[in-house]
Amino acid sequence: MLGYVVRRLWQTIPTLLGVVLLIFFLFTWVGGDPAYLLAGKISNPEQIENIRHQLGVDRPYYIQLWIFIQQIATGDFGESWSTNEKVSAIFATRLGPSLTVLVPLLLVDTLLAIAAAMLVAYVRGSLTDRIVMIGCTVGQSISILVYIIVFQYVLAYQLGWFPVQGWGNGFAENLLKFSLLPIIVGVIVSLAPDTRLYRTFFLDEINQDYVRTARAKGMSEGRVMWVHVLRNASIPIITNVMIQLPGLLAGAFLIERFFSIPGVGREVILAVERSDFPVIKAVTVYVAIATMIINLVADLLYRVVDPRVQLK
Amino acid sequence: MTSPNGTEPLVGIRDLKVDFRLDRTTIFQAVKGVSFDIPVNSTVALVGESGSGKSVTALAILGLLPKENSIVPAGSRILYGGRNLLALEPGELQKLRGADISMIFQEPMSSLNPVFTVGFQLTEVLTKHLGMTGKQARARALELLREVGIPEPEIKIDAYPFQLSGGQQQRVMIAIAIACEPKLLIADEPTTALDVTIQKQILELIAALQKRMRMSVLFITHDLALVGEIADYVVVMREGEIKEQGKVQQIFEAPQDPYTRALMLCRPQLTRRPRRLPVIDDFLKPGPLAGAGLEERSRGLRGDEEVILEVRHLGKSFYSREGLFGKREFKAVKDVSFKLARGKTLGIVGESGSGKTTVALTLLRLRGASTGEALFEGADLLSIPQEEMMRYKRRIQIVFQDPYASLNPRFTIGQLLMEPLQVHRIGSDESERRDMVYKLLEEVGLPEVSFFKYPHEFSGGQRQRIAIARCLTMKPEVLICDEAVSALDVSVQAQVLNLLQDLQDEYHMSYIFISHDLAVVKYMADQVMVMNEGEVVEVANSDDIYRNPQHPYTKKLLSSIPQGWRGARAR
Amino acid sequence: MTQAAALSLGAQRAESPGLWVLAWRRFCRDRVGLASFLIVVFFFGLMVASGLHLIAADWSKEVGVNYAPPTFSGPAIHDGGPSAPLAPDSSRAESAGKADAAAGDIEIVDPLADVLAEIRAQSSAASVAEAQAPTLAFGGDRWGRDVLKKTIKGTETSMFVGLVAALLAAFLATVFGALAGYYGGWIDDFFNWFYSVFTSIPYLLLILAIAAVLNQKGTLTVILILGLTGWTGIFRLVRAEYLKHKVREYIQAADAIGASHARRMFVHILPNVSHVILVQLSLHVVLFIKSEVVLSFLGFGVGVDTVSWGSMLNEAQSELILGYWWQLVAATIAMALLVTGFSLFTDALRDALDPKLK
Repeated sequence: MLGYVVRRLWQTIPTLLGVVLLIFFLFTWVGGDPAYLLAGKISNPEQIENIRHQLGVDRPYYIQLWIFIQQIATGDFGESWSTNEKVSAIFATRLGPSLTVLVPLLLVDTLLAIAAAMLVAYVRGSLTDRIVMIGCTVGQSISILVYIIVFQYVLAYQLGWFPVQGWGNGFAENLLKFSLLPIIVGVIVSLAPDTRLYRTFFLDEINQDYVRTARAKGMSEGRVMWVHVLRNASIPIITNVMIQLPGLLAGAFLIERFFSIPGVGREVILAVERSDFPVIKAVTVYVAIATMIINLVADLLYRVVDPRVQLK
Repeated sequence: MTSPNGTEPLVGIRDLKVDFRLDRTTIFQAVKGVSFDIPVNSTVALVGESGSGKSVTALAILGLLPKENSIVPAGSRILYGGRNLLALEPGELQKLRGADISMIFQEPMSSLNPVFTVGFQLTEVLTKHLGMTGKQARARALELLREVGIPEPEIKIDAYPFQLSGGQQQRVMIAIAIACEPKLLIADEPTTALDVTIQKQILELIAALQKRMRMSVLFITHDLALVGEIADYVVVMREGEIKEQGKVQQIFEAPQDPYTRALMLCRPQLTRRPRRLPVIDDFLKPGPLAGAGLEERSRGLRGDEEVILEVRHLGKSFYSREGLFGKREFKAVKDVSFKLARGKTLGIVGESGSGKTTVALTLLRLRGASTGEALFEGADLLSIPQEEMMRYKRRIQIVFQDPYASLNPRFTIGQLLMEPLQVHRIGSDESERRDMVYKLLEEVGLPEVSFFKYPHEFSGGQRQRIAIARCLTMKPEVLICDEAVSALDVSVQAQVLNLLQDLQDEYHMSYIFISHDLAVVKYMADQVMVMNEGEVVEVANSDDIYRNPQHPYTKKLLSSIPQGWRGARAR
Repeated sequence: MTQAAALSLGAQRAESPGLWVLAWRRFCRDRVGLASFLIVVFFFGLMVASGLHLIAADWSKEVGVNYAPPTFSGPAIHDGGPSAPLAPDSSRAESAGKADAAAGDIEIVDPLADVLAEIRAQSSAASVAEAQAPTLAFGGDRWGRDVLKKTIKGTETSMFVGLVAALLAAFLATVFGALAGYYGGWIDDFFNWFYSVFTSIPYLLLILAIAAVLNQKGTLTVILILGLTGWTGIFRLVRAEYLKHKVREYIQAADAIGASHARRMFVHILPNVSHVILVQLSLHVVLFIKSEVVLSFLGFGVGVDTVSWGSMLNEAQSELILGYWWQLVAATIAMALLVTGFSLFTDALRDALDPKLK
């Protein structure tokens, strides 16, 4: 077990190195000279040289890469180019609001999707199944932007059931007042694709031989579905949820932007708009690291769910 | 069939019909009006080839047919205890399933739920049907596991299915099935996926349980030889209809229907080796059996034959990763040596995991060998450079087991057979190659229009002919048949075996004939090599090895072969 | 090639249905699939026609009054706009008034108030329009451009981006996946490394990061961003298919008769995995269309002079508060129709190509 964890961590080093190189490559070569971006229109060569020196971009690439790696290791990415806030502070203060919205969203969505998917998988081929599936397809085809715009306009702006946007100070206030509409919109948007996906997982299991065995043993249909099928289908479902987890840290870009939630996602969009490279770099690297850790946790979790998985 | 002493049968199947909806307009009649009885305390064997409707009949008894596309027309009845099972409420049926009537299936691995322990799946039935508490159920489960012969039941009860061997998995399935002392056990090809030695154990277990618990068994199988050993009554099905039914003695000693006779004689037997196997058409045609199946063929090596291929100390290891840097070696083939005589057949027999297929694949360099050499005209096939190997490739060819997997589904038969000619530049131009292909098609018994068809338009036996024709394009000197007839029905198997024999007689090819089926190997091979866990345990002329096996493993293997009906037995 | 020779010969004889033909027949039996296919074809036609300037070439002409309402709902009075000469549609005016009232109710928390004021100022400033139609078939935008034509132009952009980016991604994924799956060993390790690097960063974050550094908008940029980042999902599937197929008996048989690696990879295996690629291609068109809409909405997508559904939605967001719903509805309907059609088409395609799954 411990050996497995050590080996897995060992294996992530090349991936991490790859991510670092990819980001370094993007921001150093593709991105061009940031000094021109920062200096703006009114700039003389002297100023630019000055900024280049400050940023360290006049030094050789390998030294820049080394500085970047040091930044990752120490967590000190310096200050934001546009607000001069410490990058580490930005990350620390923005994560809370993102999680306040996204954790309940993921929970509610997953539970509802599992229930809906099992129901339609059980009555596969029936009219209910077809209607739900067509409904999901149509629902999925409308852009998330439209959902947000319309829901915000109708439910918050016109009917006044929710605040149009904003964020408070207390956790309870944030969760119950400001996060409610964002969560509802988020669930509606992700429910359709997840139901469709989980339905295929259930269908894969329903046709397995062991389901026939369970029926031959005289088990009730409820037990067949909720015990035998669900336990097996939960394996790919967990995979899918795990894939979504790193997204929690990156925040929900659009929802946070529309509802003015001071989360990571909104910060990233602002940073992209302002070409605030240190912030984007920091978020990307840390989310990538978090992804790798989550993947490791996911693999350990599989052993709990699926006895066939042997960690070697 | 009427019950022996006029008593009420346990289950009566009356005019059972089952249709499957294939799409909006097509309906496939899987079972077309079948009636038979399952008497109390007896074993009824339902025999038939694939597509005969035997499994569908069994599933219908328990109401386990897929509900989305199957139809049981009104008028069909399955009578049990005065009730029609087909008309029962779902709740009532659930009470019967697993308690009064239980079932075991062909694939024990996939029939057990992979993520629950053996104990969980076993106690589930006990708590549901017998109302036991968790503790009682666990105690009873241990007893049941002991009863079906699971070693160390205290440990195995908490094991997951994948931690058990195939035979143990099937034992667990049986334990689940007999947990509530059912009146009827339906066994749907319960030994087909198992090795022959394990098959024997499972059959003995079912027979013993049947006797002790005085239950009835409905045994579904494609293997008539097996039926002779276990059944009291036999029902022969073909294409959804019953061809013949009666007591086992009557079926074996005086079969009335030509199809039953064909099933019995098409399969190679250990006792006889006719020049040609009779095929199903020989029986279905009116008139006496013509020629086939009468004249005997003698086999064996004298020892002075020309050797075409000599394999020395062949070994193959696989490695699995272990620990941080370590790896574990698994020896699939250990130090295998043999000689293949020109124009003769070497049979390789072994159970799954014996390494017999790996030997074949390494000879063709489809897998790299770890050690050893294979000398073909002085050249070591295992070590010569890849370019040089090209020259030998056309001279050694292989026919695989699965006729559905060995032909590229996107190629026409013409493309499939032209490809080797083009790769090896056989024939001067396309039209000459095409003529060669047409000739080959005729030779393997396929019409000329096959050239333009795709594999999916052919049956399993026809596909195997195509695969053989593909090898013949290159006029190989050595042909390896890796379980080449194992996936085929008995009647088709005989045709393909006859074809292979005809081709050998005509072209003097040498065969390496690999199979788990000892009867087929005995029929085809001059010399037999028995393999077990990667090692050769015995090599001898085929008649000798069957008459006088030396190695204990060979003896065990031979004694496991179902012998069929052997006259009035002590029961 | 000889395949061609055999094919031409086959045409002379009785035609024998191959797997593609059988799949096509199955597909034709699926009425929903066929209908969705027609929708896709229709949109494809729109895209091509618009791209060739056969239709909607004059989309940028300001043919109507500012925010001209759709013809079917009748002309309307703008807020305080002096230029509305026709009889006021009472319901329209009422709802507009309500929107104003609502805007007034929400005070501090209304961040759209500024936008609102700006739009109002603009609309009254521009209201000295002359010779412009009071209504348009499906309404007009801020400058009085025909929303219908704008939607067609947006369809062209969004669909073109989706199609080309998906082709690019599928091409990369197929080449990578075939090499990795077929050869295994260090080649596989390399591509897997590449894959895990790309998938360690959440998709949208990666796209935004690239958009940030590129800092130049344009259709080509969007296509490159989406195509170069979006290959991972298809790669994984193609690799898995190649892993599965290379040990199949028909490939071993091809090896045994002496077919080369390239021949086994592309002549033998590729046709057998192409249905997977086709279905994925179709799925990714939808995914990329959606991504493009989001990118363009945020202003990181297509250039300012190009219309896409995303940029239309961006305008529609502020228009909605004023009660001008038609641009939102037009873009939403167009997108929903195409994406639904494409998704149903994909489902039907999958069913037809792989009848075992259902």
